[in-house]
Amino acid sequence: MRNGNGHADEIAALIEPGRIHRRVYTDPDLFELEMERIFGRAWLFVGHVSQVPNPGDYITGELGRQPVIMVRHRDGTVRVLLNRCTHRGAKVVNERCGHAQRLVCCYHGWAFDTDGTLASVPVPEGCGEGFDKEALGLARAPRVGEYRGFVFASLAGKGPSFEDHIGPMKGNIDDLVDRAPDGVLALDAGMHRYVYNGNWKLQLENVLDSYHVPFGHASTVNKQGVQFARREGDQKGAAVIETEKKQTAASWKDRKSFTAGNGHGWTSNTTLDEGKRSSPAYDEYRRALADKVGAERAAEILTPRLHNSLIYPNMSIMGLNIHVRVIKPISVDRTEVNIFPIRLLGAPEAMNSANIRLLNVTHSAASFVQTDDLESFVRAQKGLQSRMTDWVDISRGLGAEEPDSATNATRGLATHEMVVRAQYKAWLGYMNEAA
Amino acid sequence: MSVSPVSAASAGRGIVAGIDRAPVEEFLIGEALLLDARRFRDWMDLFADDGSYWVPAVPGQKSPHDQASLFYDDRQLMKTRIERLEHPRIHVQTPPSRTAHLIGNVVIEEVDAGNGEFLVGSTVIMVEYRDDAQRLFAGRQHHRLRRAGDTFRIVQKRVDLINCDAAFEAMAVPI
Repeated sequence: MRNGNGHADEIAALIEPGRIHRRVYTDPDLFELEMERIFGRAWLFVGHVSQVPNPGDYITGELGRQPVIMVRHRDGTVRVLLNRCTHRGAKVVNERCGHAQRLVCCYHGWAFDTDGTLASVPVPEGCGEGFDKEALGLARAPRVGEYRGFVFASLAGKGPSFEDHIGPMKGNIDDLVDRAPDGVLALDAGMHRYVYNGNWKLQLENVLDSYHVPFGHASTVNKQGVQFARREGDQKGAAVIETEKKQTAASWKDRKSFTAGNGHGWTSNTTLDEGKRSSPAYDEYRRALADKVGAERAAEILTPRLHNSLIYPNMSIMGLNIHVRVIKPISVDRTEVNIFPIRLLGAPEAMNSANIRLLNVTHSAASFVQTDDLESFVRAQKGLQSRMTDWVDISRGLGAEEPDSATNATRGLATHEMVVRAQYKAWLGYMNEAA
Repeated sequence: MSVSPVSAASAGRGIVAGIDRAPVEEFLIGEALLLDARRFRDWMDLFADDGSYWVPAVPGQKSPHDQASLFYDDRQLMKTRIERLEHPRIHVQTPPSRTAHLIGNVVIEEVDAGNGEFLVGSTVIMVEYRDDAQRLFAGRQHHRLRRAGDTFRIVQKRVDLINCDAAFEAMAVPI
């Protein structure tokens, strides 16, 4: 595994129709290969245009483990640059976000324009004859794509187009963006950051896993099996556990999951009583939306269709208590996740505040929901150290998948594991092919 | 003329001279001991009915309403949090956390005689041990306290962790 090329047979042997080998989660060499073959070339979510509203505004982060800057250039376009000085390799921008006319390296003062061009080098007379300033701009992500404000980049020059990759998920992005009366979102309300000692794919699989909810989140439900309210205007939350005796959930059992290729997938809505959803903030929001798009369209937008949507391999969107989640692998057994609250532009501030506040409750590092998931991820990583059982079972609903003509996708039950199998099909597609 | 470190540290808010700090310190220590004893319901009862508990997610955060926070609980949410902490199947507390809080550098920063309220700053260090791992939280906290008979009620407790904008492993118990 160490030379990084080939291994197609060895890798293919790790994935079977209903099970995957534990090494997929525990092998550091496979992790290195994932960084090269998946995070080194897939379309990855970088950020949202609202994070860099004005020329010179930037955010920094990582694509895989590679440090990047997303910056708005003075021509108004959003650029994705590698955050690595072309001189001696130092990370150029150290702040998480900020504003700069030029990006200046702390080490020897090389200054780069916001399109990555090397603008100035101190003591230029020291540069040799062959010094090619034009060739020494910050490296740029070879391909950048944007859909309704969501910026994605690929670190490979070749591969499936942005359109091919994101196409099946455009409707899922629309579902979120259309909820803003102005049709525009802002990811400007900070973020939740958590880390766990586990593989990145544990979080990915969990996003569309409706099987775990009554068990993993047992501590979030009351004696009637009902979870706390997670949306503004709801009088109570979803029924998660049917009865105390029978630890399965009616609403969860009926939910569907969908996959539409490329590892992407989504789960259908949580069953909640839409007719009773009402509060001053929510009612005002509904009116604001109807004023912009008409009552009929507003009702359509506000009828929940989606719970979570996964845009493989590093991002998900939640439709229940709205947010965007970004998954950042650190090492084979360590992962960081960032969760961004969303402001719906044109919605009353009270509605946006309520969304921000409820996200603290569900997805902060100190939340009621996410913390039990983190415990499950950590315990999975510990359990997978066992070499006496090599296989992880993902066979629920194998063979029960069916086409869904309405969405041009494949449908299964959300308590099945079709979406996990779809993720590993995509995983294998990337991993089988030498970069 | 020399400036005392205490008044320098609370510059801009001013230190309130001539107030007996002992009852306030005793109250803060009592609160910390309730948390260490996992007597979360008794801890909640220290809060006024309109009380809130806030742990911002960025330094100097101005409001809990327009930005993500680590914690921002009113009494109702605090109750839900505590019901979960008492739930037998809270996985992230199996085994439970053990904590040791240390409160120091207590300064009464403001007195609102009209409302009978004080703003008290203190430094908190909390060591947490759970499931073979020990970690450290530290920061400056501010309690807005309201007199209630011979004791106080917490109108707001705000904890500004020095690493509030870091990525955290799961945090189950209040700081």
